[in-house]
Amino acid sequence: MMRREILALGSMILLTGCPRQALFVVLPNAGDGGVGAITVEEGETATTLEQPYAAAESRAGSTARIEESRENINVIFRHAIAAQPILPHHFRLYFILGSDELTPESKIAYRAVFDDVKQRLVYEIEVIGFADTLGDPAYNQSLSLARAAAIRDTLVRDGLDRDAISIAGRGKHDLLVPTADQAPEPRNRRVEITVR
Amino acid sequence: MGLALALAAFLLLATGGTVVAAETPRIAQIKKLTGQVTILRAGERLPAKIGDPLFEKDLVQTGTDGGIGITFIDNTVFSAGPNSEIALDAFRFDSNNFQGAMLADMRRGTLAVVSGDITRTTPGAMKIKTPTAVIGVRGTTFAVQVYGEHL
Repeated sequence: MMRREILALGSMILLTGCPRQALFVVLPNAGDGGVGAITVEEGETATTLEQPYAAAESRAGSTARIEESRENINVIFRHAIAAQPILPHHFRLYFILGSDELTPESKIAYRAVFDDVKQRLVYEIEVIGFADTLGDPAYNQSLSLARAAAIRDTLVRDGLDRDAISIAGRGKHDLLVPTADQAPEPRNRRVEITVR
Repeated sequence: MGLALALAAFLLLATGGTVVAAETPRIAQIKKLTGQVTILRAGERLPAKIGDPLFEKDLVQTGTDGGIGITFIDNTVFSAGPNSEIALDAFRFDSNNFQGAMLADMRRGTLAVVSGDITRTTPGAMKIKTPTAVIGVRGTTFAVQVYGEHL
């Protein structure tokens, strides 16, 4: 057994000439899914990996596809994966027309934002406010900022660190649902929140 | 003449200071740590602490028992295992339009990546260099191991 392994190792070195210098692996996408892909360029070679667990290695001046088992990949990267923090999460909350008060549904949904933050060792929160296209730009700019500020103030009142929260207002720009000007649209009266 | 020179020198110093400050915004935050992890910044060795900011040009080094998880301002997440060395060579990101670019230098060790808004907006705008190859990132989740010279 031992002798066979030594023989196998010996022939591997003979065959390949020099050891692996780097290993590249695509992993299953976390969160929102989608197809991940990387391209590894080395010298004259360009290797594209676009399936989960597709792998390539650097060896002797070029990169090439290889087969590497899931088990090996999970062992090689176990510490790096264990060091991964909670991934950033996005939330969207909606407001009553012309107001910085949340809709009743979004008042409930707010709890999910707060709970997400509380799971993290440290956090940063970005709140960006938006308005629908009713009214003039200046009014909507201040309304959108007031919406973001209202969420920040609620988070601070619930005990979170004000310095970790940034706010911005985009007025009636960047509509979630494209509309003509002066169109009431509940889904555009919102804040987008990123917690990381 | 003397006054004008002094004023010019002062303006140079003042704007120089402003430019330096503007060029070094935080690009990431340390979210998770295990074991010994060191940040090399402008020639100084700093012990990594949870919550600390990271800046362009920082070099992250993990010890034999070390691990670190960081999240960039574009929501890209890096996590590294033991005996790793990663230089944050270049990073810019505009949160208004999600445009940006990123270059990291993975010198040794293991790194897992979940790419964020930079690659979502501009596939390929994030690159990771290794001693032998360059990775262009379209997204999203991948990992790299760079073998040390002792192997």
